[in-house]
Amino acid sequence: MANSAKPMSRALQRREDVAGYLFMLPSLVFFVGFVIIPMFICILTSLTSSNMHDPGMFGSFVGLENFIKLWQDDVFKKGLLNTFIIVLVSVPTVCAFSLWVSSAIYKLHNVALSAFRCIFYLPVVTGSVAVTVVWRWMYDNYTGILNTALKSAGIIEQNINWLGSESTALACIIVILFTTSVGQPIVLYVSALGNVDQTLVEAAQVDGATDFQVFWKVKWPQMMPTTLYILVITTINSFQCFALIQLLTQGGPNHATDTVMYYIYYTAFKLTEQAGHFGYANAMGVMLAIFIGILSAIQFRLGREK
Amino acid sequence: MKKIRKALAFMTALCIVLSLAACGQPSSENSKAPDPTKGPDPTQQQSEAPSNTAAGEITLWTYPVGNWKDEATVKALTDAFTAETGIKVKVDYLDYTAGDDRVNTALTANNAPDLILEGPERLVANWGANGKMVDLKDMFDDTDMSEINAVNEGIMKACTAPDGAIYEYPLVMTAHCMAVNLNAFKDAGADQYLDLDTHTWTTDDFLLAVDALYKHYNSTVAAVFCLGQGGDQGTRALVNNMYGGTYTNAEHTKYTWNDENNIKALTQLKSMNGIAFDASLDGGKEIAAFYQGTLKMAFCWNIAQQLDPNSAKTGAEKTLSGDDIAFMSFPSQDGTAQLCGGIWGFGIFDNGDAARIEAAKQFIKFMCDSEHTADAVKAANYFAVRTTAEGADLSKIWADDAIMNEYTKLMPFLGDYYQVTTGWAANRTEWWNMLQEVGTGADITEVINAHCDAANAAAG
Repeated sequence: MANSAKPMSRALQRREDVAGYLFMLPSLVFFVGFVIIPMFICILTSLTSSNMHDPGMFGSFVGLENFIKLWQDDVFKKGLLNTFIIVLVSVPTVCAFSLWVSSAIYKLHNVALSAFRCIFYLPVVTGSVAVTVVWRWMYDNYTGILNTALKSAGIIEQNINWLGSESTALACIIVILFTTSVGQPIVLYVSALGNVDQTLVEAAQVDGATDFQVFWKVKWPQMMPTTLYILVITTINSFQCFALIQLLTQGGPNHATDTVMYYIYYTAFKLTEQAGHFGYANAMGVMLAIFIGILSAIQFRLGREK
Repeated sequence: MKKIRKALAFMTALCIVLSLAACGQPSSENSKAPDPTKGPDPTQQQSEAPSNTAAGEITLWTYPVGNWKDEATVKALTDAFTAETGIKVKVDYLDYTAGDDRVNTALTANNAPDLILEGPERLVANWGANGKMVDLKDMFDDTDMSEINAVNEGIMKACTAPDGAIYEYPLVMTAHCMAVNLNAFKDAGADQYLDLDTHTWTTDDFLLAVDALYKHYNSTVAAVFCLGQGGDQGTRALVNNMYGGTYTNAEHTKYTWNDENNIKALTQLKSMNGIAFDASLDGGKEIAAFYQGTLKMAFCWNIAQQLDPNSAKTGAEKTLSGDDIAFMSFPSQDGTAQLCGGIWGFGIFDNGDAARIEAAKQFIKFMCDSEHTADAVKAANYFAVRTTAEGADLSKIWADDAIMNEYTKLMPFLGDYYQVTTGWAANRTEWWNMLQEVGTGADITEVINAHCDAANAAAG
């Protein structure tokens, strides 16, 4: 026992450090190569007129021209608005629904709990293309099950073009995003609720706390780190909503489902005749990163205060 | 500890340098990069010293041009080429949804294939105009020109850039048309408006047919699809032909699709109960809806679809439920339409390797101008762009195919190949965005003017 309390020798410490760094090295290479360097390239390129036609990675330096142009671009502004709508609707509903479901199922028998976990997690592990294809069938203007069901129930008389109408397309995207986003938060909340210190819960109950008070004053503070993680992850995922839009609406109709993420892709790889399209797309990427950063910082701040 | 930190710093720096090197371009390629404001410099290509070692393998990327999307079909052709020349061909299959993205990404990364099979709107007006393609002028002699011009003089015009460089060696062509569900037309009493001998009809007949079908089925008959650019040749041809509108000027220097006749056509279409401006469909999805019997007409159609509707291999000229499909020219005031053409052929990306370029040219010669051309044309299910290839007669290769023979009735209606107008890719975006806005009830004149102006602005 006395030996274990002794400080580690310098040689041993060094050997452990080396081993640690060597274990980190493969990840570090990928992290630097595929995250850090592209990030710097993105920032640098956003200040240039980079495009696919000019030789070299960077075009001419244009300063903040791309960023100024962004705020005069109606499609970008519409995309930004849609992105915020998605985030503002999606994040609270995902968190609230996950918390509600988790509260209802976390005390169930292991078999039932696992079954619920699987059901809610299934859309997460299913490929987004498969999910999208199924939803496209359901939303289909002519033969979709949604129109058929609503017509059979007498709720609508004429088919609704769910994905082809400005008034419904974005809501349809949010619904799909919701189903693919709730799986992970539910699993995390179930785990967090299971880890709540029962002695504190029992003490509160003995002191006469109501169920709501127990939840709000005892359980909720202990689940705060999980909530914070879920908020940040869901916010980032909502900001980066791309595949659903690319596969279902391509930003339409009339830009009703354009998001910043989709517009970045569209500008970079579709508008290749446009001067400086890479630089402009990267400027959008930088703006998106700034917005995500600000929102995440606010969430961390609020979470810490709580 | 200091040493470890130093070692770690060194390794991190090494990672960064290596990653940067990977992101950058090889210096030799940098030095050969063409001036983006000009086409490829022919003198530069000629002065390149031919590689001592001939290319043993070349890469081909092919868009789904008929059965050139089918691996077994293409393999038979490339195997024949390999057997004759010893040059292996690595084939990659693109689709029209993500194909452009893949090519553009490859071009950006200096990793483009040697050969590509597509049409002039990409090979000439886009990648050719941006200096990415090799000028193929030296592959054409007077005989080649006369063999191609004998079929249609517009073919070589479409494959040639304004500066005279030829960026596409044409292989096959067709005229895009529309299709009708014959059983549905008969049930609705609308077949009286179709001339199935000539496969033509007038705008008035078309309008009457839509009304008759709508009255019979009380649902959408046809869709002006506008989810994206896929299949937009159908909506362009429909709108242009109804009242004789134009898409570009004759010189292909300006987009003119905001003319009064097109506004009249769009106003007419928007007012019809049986026609939906559908932003949830593109050309491919419209074909699927037509094939399933949901829609009674398809505006995105050609001979490949007539032979194999929806690529479902359930029988030529039949819908899923077995209804007969008739191909039709687009309606026009006098019944004589100007159909959009498809001219597909090979282009060579200028990867700066003379040996590979030479091997790619051998491939083109093998497929487009040799005794093997008939096989290459038949693989595409389209029509040959030339009368003969090195003495082999191509004019009768479809003589034993009744559907192909019948379809040749549409070929004289092949209109101007305006898809080579500058700024074509941006223009297509403006077109389907315009249709989406018209579909939402916006003022048609205002919307069409705004988008056409934007297309012209993008074209410079």
